[in-house]
Amino acid sequence: MKPPKFMYCDPDSVEEAVALKSRYGHDSLVLAGGQSLMPMLNMRLANPEVLIDINRVTDLQQITRDGDVLEIGAGVRQSVLETDPAVAAAVPLLGLVVPYIGHIENRHRGTVGGSLAHADAAAELPCAAVTLDATIVVQGTEGRREVPAREFFEGFMTNCCAPDELVVAVRFPVTPAAAGSAFVEHARRQGDFALAAAAAVVTLDAQGHIASAAVGVAGISGTPVRATAVQDALVGGPTTTEAIAAAAAAVGDSVNAADDMHATGTYRRHLAVTVVKRAITAAVGNAAAVERNGS
Amino acid sequence: MTAVADGEANEKPAYTYIGSDRKRVEDPRLLVGRGGYIADLKMQGLTHAAILRSPVPHGRIVSIDATEALKIPGVIAVLTGEDVKKHMNPCMNFGPPTIPQFPIAVDKVRYVGEAVAAVVAEDRYIAEDGVEALVVEFEDLPAVTDPMKALEPGSAVLHDEHGTNLGYERTFEFGDISEALGRADLVVEDTLHWGRSAGMPMETSGAVARIGLNGVLEIHCNSLNFSYLQFLVATALKIPSNKLTMRPVPAGGSFGSKFTAHKVPTLAGFLALRTGRPVSYVEDRLDHLMNSDHHASDRYYDAKMGFTSEGIITGLDIDVVDDYGAYLQFGVGTHGNAFSQAVGPYTFRDLKYRLRAALTNKCQQGAYRGFGSEVHNWVLERLIDKAAQELGLLPEEIRRRNFIQPDQFPYKIPGGNLYDSGDYPKVLDTALGMIDLAYWRKEKARLREEEGRYIGIGLATTQERSVFSSTEFWFWFDEPAFPITSSPESATITIDPTGAFQLLLHCQAMWGNSPETVSTTIVAEEFGIEPNTVNVSYADTARALPGTGPGGSRYTVMVAGAVRGAARKLKKKLIDIAAHTLEVSAEDLELVDARVQVVGAPERSLGLPELAASAYFFALSLPPGMQSGLEEAYTYDHPYTTLPSADRTDLGVFYPIMGHACHIAVMEVDPDTGQTSFLDYVAVHDAGTVVNPKSLGGHVTGGAAQGLGSTLYEELAYDEEGQFKSSTFLDYLVPTANEVPPFRIGHVETPSPFTEYGIKGGGEGGRMVTPSVVSAAIDDALREYGMRVRELPVKPSEIVATVQDSLARG
Repeated sequence: MKPPKFMYCDPDSVEEAVALKSRYGHDSLVLAGGQSLMPMLNMRLANPEVLIDINRVTDLQQITRDGDVLEIGAGVRQSVLETDPAVAAAVPLLGLVVPYIGHIENRHRGTVGGSLAHADAAAELPCAAVTLDATIVVQGTEGRREVPAREFFEGFMTNCCAPDELVVAVRFPVTPAAAGSAFVEHARRQGDFALAAAAAVVTLDAQGHIASAAVGVAGISGTPVRATAVQDALVGGPTTTEAIAAAAAAVGDSVNAADDMHATGTYRRHLAVTVVKRAITAAVGNAAAVERNGS
Repeated sequence: MTAVADGEANEKPAYTYIGSDRKRVEDPRLLVGRGGYIADLKMQGLTHAAILRSPVPHGRIVSIDATEALKIPGVIAVLTGEDVKKHMNPCMNFGPPTIPQFPIAVDKVRYVGEAVAAVVAEDRYIAEDGVEALVVEFEDLPAVTDPMKALEPGSAVLHDEHGTNLGYERTFEFGDISEALGRADLVVEDTLHWGRSAGMPMETSGAVARIGLNGVLEIHCNSLNFSYLQFLVATALKIPSNKLTMRPVPAGGSFGSKFTAHKVPTLAGFLALRTGRPVSYVEDRLDHLMNSDHHASDRYYDAKMGFTSEGIITGLDIDVVDDYGAYLQFGVGTHGNAFSQAVGPYTFRDLKYRLRAALTNKCQQGAYRGFGSEVHNWVLERLIDKAAQELGLLPEEIRRRNFIQPDQFPYKIPGGNLYDSGDYPKVLDTALGMIDLAYWRKEKARLREEEGRYIGIGLATTQERSVFSSTEFWFWFDEPAFPITSSPESATITIDPTGAFQLLLHCQAMWGNSPETVSTTIVAEEFGIEPNTVNVSYADTARALPGTGPGGSRYTVMVAGAVRGAARKLKKKLIDIAAHTLEVSAEDLELVDARVQVVGAPERSLGLPELAASAYFFALSLPPGMQSGLEEAYTYDHPYTTLPSADRTDLGVFYPIMGHACHIAVMEVDPDTGQTSFLDYVAVHDAGTVVNPKSLGGHVTGGAAQGLGSTLYEELAYDEEGQFKSSTFLDYLVPTANEVPPFRIGHVETPSPFTEYGIKGGGEGGRMVTPSVVSAAIDDALREYGMRVRELPVKPSEIVATVQDSLARG
């Protein structure tokens, strides 16, 4: 488990990193926290000519609030999202999903941009990005562009970046104060990739019915997905156990992950419905609590 | 958390150190990163080997082209099965000689991961580059992956010389099983599968070999019981045994996985001999998972057990196929372990055991905590739980009715092994006293009713055999090639001229267990000194006295015997010197707190430094004829073993030091995710006289954690095509501190009548119980859905499928 030879570059700026990316394209890989890349290198599953280490690019390590948008630099460590009060106030879901990423040691190294770029369909941050309609900021020789999260993830561990582009930030819309957020995940062990996970953000109307719902699901297909059928079934409806269960059942049709040694397809479908149901229930509970505390 | 439940302390001899909670003497160096492991061993000119592992499960090696690999700067040599064939004998093998094995595959590969070629290079990176550059052509042969189909006529055969994939078959019957099941009021039957798992030490197997002075091949390694079996490595390497010195290197964990793990040191030795350079070969995690010598039991059972209407067991009928993989290196010793406690703690006398060892295109089996006895325990407890359910008996009640009673020991079981001592009702009562089952049974009903939650209670009472005798390796064969009966352990105690203690151990004992804590405790007890003042070292094979090493929970018992034997000899010498000096009779002297004193007149005494000075420097002051120096060695043979009968109606006494345990678990199961969690867990063990409650508690905890792994998480899986599915820790799931509950531990002490101090082994017990108790708790939680654990590991998907199928049936 030793990597093959590669050239190592450690640029100081985004521009330098982009220039290297532009020069080496598909023959290069970006090293951020290394929590997925280093094992892939050591097992020779990745064989880049050039490794571009962006850990010295401090510009990528900022969190900024810009009106209704929270922008998180690609180089920000995942563990920061667990403890930063500005993040908790602006986008509560992030603080709920991050503890499920690996173990604390992984989160101290792993970065926000790294997880998004890696595009594992069972990973937590991609699921949160899709649920919250985040935009991923990528930068290449042509400059910056913003890609909606639902377009960023193209397929199994594939993102939409061009060979000369790298992820520089992710922009999350600030969650309305009255919304309730929740995240429910099931994995074989704590810290493993999800067999199925669901994020939910809901708001309630004056009658206590569901006014809006965003439900994202991880681990059930090649990319994290929005459970639109579930959302449609929820909106305008009551928050009874039966109504939520009936809505959640619709996610089963979106499950197309193949059987593996940890989960059969049948099990994963049941699990997807279960985590969606539980996430919505918890989000509704949190929304109601916000309302009670606010009034 | 430890509670020693005894209550009869006044009957026990008063020990100063034995029985008290003491920190391990090994820990300080381990905690500061000075463990001295094999990967830390550097030497001038050291080269590194990497192995090309077979990507195909079964195939003929047509050609290996090393041209490109050898062009890489830094690559020194590429060695293949052809080299091995020319220069080696087959590796040591306790199975049929028609199933030979070499450290690099010769002509054929028989499982994914088998070594095909070794690249020796200036560093490990270059060695792996070399492996990547090798071009190998295989001619695929049909993969044999299903052990049942492997035994059918027409199956592809792994070993042509053996002629069949039936590695071994034997049926033993003790008593009359037809009669026993015939008179039963209830016969429970089940088909059960215990899946493959393995010990996963943080450190893998590794060896560093070089040719040293006088052309002696030196192999430093973290595996093997080498003062027992070193000559077999020399035989494989075709060198005289006195031209091979094996040096023990502390291991970062074994759990059985380094027990007699011979291929890594043998291969490193071979590479050093062929290249003339020092060679390091340390398995990486991929090597270890797919090719470790030690995948463990993979058994398919058809089992029947008879009961009277009162729940008394009448007999047990076992038909087991064990999927041994491609080689049979330890024969079927894992089933000998099952035989040593075939009836569990129960009184039934009729037993039939049919074993078929199947050969398939998978990694071979080796040792893993329990060595196959844990599987049998699980089968026994599964059947008893099923009967308890059908007879309407509580799990504790049906077991209590079948227990061998304290006044029945020593107790000879069907098959011939003997249980030395025990008090099974007391262990059960101690466990029941640590947890309020009446409360939990009420709570179970309340939670189901009021909160829709599912909790279950599991209870198991199992044996924990210890101190194997080597007859178990061969009683399976009517005409064994090498019917060995020795399994000794040795110790040398030296008191240096200043009175300081050196203790030399004669085997590879440091595997992450506590050999130094235990042996220094015994030295301290014998001489009245502080345990941590004794320095411990390990002999290499050029100097080692007979030693078998850890394995089968034997080391504490055996080293205690060896140390006490050496101590007796050394104490006699000290007393003789003191008697001569003080001019008193030796009978009037005693050794107390590191001084030899006159009985009844302790002011007339000599301390160890004074006696040591005399022994080393004042020969003219010694008793006439006494030799200078203070060093004594002792070799302690197995305390109680007998030969099997020629007709094998009696397998003899081979594992008589019998511990016992009762575990009780309260678990919650989520029927919609299959997730399990623990609400409480108590584990009570009887390992005879406890040397150190802290280190024994560590064994129980670690063993139980590994039992939990084998029950819920760990699976060395192959697909139908023979591809290995568990080659990283992403898929081979070892439970972490998040998954393992706090075990509340209790000890009962029933001393062995056969061992020094009455100690029994306790290194494996946790893993011998947890699978039974967790299986039972899951069943109990979801009984309304017909949950019945029949296969390990129990996966969440199977739990949910059972619930959903039950709901669908209505």
